[in-house]
Amino acid sequence: MATINSAVDLITGALQADQSALNIVANNVANANTPGYTQEVANWQENAPVEINGISFGTGVSETGPTSVRDRVLEERLDQQQQAASASSTRLSALDSMQALFAPDSGSSGSTDGDIGSDITQFFDSFSSLEANPTDSSLREQVLSTARSLAGDVSNAAASLDQQRTSLDEEAAGMTNQVNSLTSALAQLNTEIQSTSPDSDAGTLEDERQQDLNQLSQLVGINLITTENNGVSVTTTSGAVLVSESTSYPLTTGSVDGVTHFFLGTEDLTASLAGGGGQLGGYLTARDQDIPQVLSGLDQLAYSISMQVNNLNNTGSDLSGATGTVANPLYIFSQPAAVAGSALAMSVTMTDPSEIAAATQGAGSGDNSNAAALAALASQSVVAGETPSGFYANFVSALGSLVSEVQADNTAQNASATQLQTARDSLSSVNLNDEASLMQQFERSYQAASQVFTLLNTVMTSALNMGVETAVS
Amino acid sequence: MRVDPNYVTNLVSALDGAQAREQQLSNQLSSGVRFNSLSDDPIAAGQNVLLLNQIQRDDSFTQSADLVTGQLQVADSALASVVSQLNQAISLATSANNGTMNTSDVQSIGAQISGILNEVESLANTSYQGQYIFAGGQTSTIPFSTSSATSPAVTSYAGDNDVNYLETPNGQKIQLNVPGDQIFLGASSVFATLNNLVADFSTGSGSNSQAQQDTQALTAALNYVSQQRVTIDNSMTQLTAASGAITTEQTQLTASQTDLMQADLATVATQLSLSQTQSTALESVISELGSGSLFDKLQ
Repeated sequence: MATINSAVDLITGALQADQSALNIVANNVANANTPGYTQEVANWQENAPVEINGISFGTGVSETGPTSVRDRVLEERLDQQQQAASASSTRLSALDSMQALFAPDSGSSGSTDGDIGSDITQFFDSFSSLEANPTDSSLREQVLSTARSLAGDVSNAAASLDQQRTSLDEEAAGMTNQVNSLTSALAQLNTEIQSTSPDSDAGTLEDERQQDLNQLSQLVGINLITTENNGVSVTTTSGAVLVSESTSYPLTTGSVDGVTHFFLGTEDLTASLAGGGGQLGGYLTARDQDIPQVLSGLDQLAYSISMQVNNLNNTGSDLSGATGTVANPLYIFSQPAAVAGSALAMSVTMTDPSEIAAATQGAGSGDNSNAAALAALASQSVVAGETPSGFYANFVSALGSLVSEVQADNTAQNASATQLQTARDSLSSVNLNDEASLMQQFERSYQAASQVFTLLNTVMTSALNMGVETAVS
Repeated sequence: MRVDPNYVTNLVSALDGAQAREQQLSNQLSSGVRFNSLSDDPIAAGQNVLLLNQIQRDDSFTQSADLVTGQLQVADSALASVVSQLNQAISLATSANNGTMNTSDVQSIGAQISGILNEVESLANTSYQGQYIFAGGQTSTIPFSTSSATSPAVTSYAGDNDVNYLETPNGQKIQLNVPGDQIFLGASSVFATLNNLVADFSTGSGSNSQAQQDTQALTAALNYVSQQRVTIDNSMTQLTAASGAITTEQTQLTASQTDLMQADLATVATQLSLSQTQSTALESVISELGSGSLFDKLQ
């Protein structure tokens, strides 16, 4: 049976519900700029009606707590895209520093310094000039000085690449701490979420977990698996488990062949991490794939030029008529032992220009045939099936194409990530206009409820007075 | 329909992009170069290396050609002097052979021919920048020396028969020298003939058959030297032609390389102006739209 008291209780319930809804609005507005916050909406629940003598009487409304508006699938897609975008942008910045070592020569006279392409040309041209007057000491000195420029620039480029590799290595190694702290935070959050709300969205805790996952995916390529009781397992893209329920497994580093490798327990993950995405993937790809590729091109160039020039010079006759012997070889460059490392070690060991063998063996000092043969190396396929300049031109083109490709990938991935971010934000971000209108709405319904309350109070007063005026007002 | 409340952030990143583009275009304008890094145009970067290589080779050849021209001219003028000396010797020998001279006259002609021989020997020992040009490959040792131990005297050659070539960038080989033994001690040996004539006229008896034979041999030797001179002249002609062709090629390649690398200033200036307009527009949009929400209107 409906009574005035029950009506008052009902309206009090409505006032409480409106108040808690207004709290939710206030919380949303306060957290509008918190990163990773998803907007909460109030849940209105009609209280179960009471049936008395076949008549049902409503018992009002209650606000059963906020629900976070999130789309898990969308957030996971966003993380995946950001993973790819951060991998390509890290790799791109490493590649940009690499290609800066080989900046194209504009051809004006001042810009040829440090350009390996023009060093190669000038070196072989110095032999062509020597053909005109093989005994001239200034032409001989020019051969040695152009050789020094070439060797210097090649070994400088190789040294810079080595340095870049070391710093990439250090940056990659430094990321393990961040990754490990994120994975242990995730394990803890898993425990809390599983104990507090195993069946439904965990609200703020869930926001925190999502934020940690977002940060982790930018660092390292990950895959997510939702487990029972609202838990999340995190593995690397190749399947090594980083977080399982409430346990996290830390990454460790170790030095293998002079570079840092990453281990999970005893398993070496480095190769799979390189292709997995995230900043770590970008660093490792640049360190283990891009830099060695460029270095091997330089090594090939240095090795072939050094070997060919040395051998030709050794089998000719120098200014005093001597030819190269095993004990005293007439080598212009330091003779490389192997292809790997020859760029870094390239240097000119000959100091006396009279040791340049312009003449063929046994001919007089005025003969220029060996100088002509040395000059002709420039148009022979002596470096991996191409001429020295042709090889360098292809080397430079290939590097430029790689960087351009990664740039295009990065732009596309960034655009895609932005789109996904927009989609996620339209769903989960706090829209101040929406909050303002909701606030108005709840305020009005609060006002309405309090008006009803006032009215009920008046009715109760009348009932108490029972027709007698002014005993209670 | 839900709207992304953070769309202004996206506009800001677009603004960043527009400003980065402006910076790149300004760099192009100020340096005049179309691209500064390999990734902007990888194929052009490769082509650029090859073009510069060719241009520098051509330039280096032009400089070598100048050096070598001097040497060839010296050789040519030496041989011209040899030819005129030999002409003189022939006329002296002919006059000694006509039978109208007395012993002392013949002997004095012999002495003059001996003087001519010395002159020809010193011409054959011409050096250019410290190197003997008629010595084949042995350019640091004096090639010709005459020993009067025997009669007739013998002029011997200390050089070799090595020939040097200069290779042009197009693969053409230009001969740089003719070995001394080929010119002076060949089938019609200049020195042998002159030495014989000196020996013939030293006795003072003219118009003997030996002297007449030797005089004819001298004429043959002169023709032979003239032929050798043609080789030098040919080399000079080839060198001039090659230099001309190489210079033309260098000019064309330089034009191609400039086209490849040079920024098209008109296009860059237009794009820069468009980019600036876009930046300004974005800035206005951001400042207009980025502020305010419904809360401002509620009182």
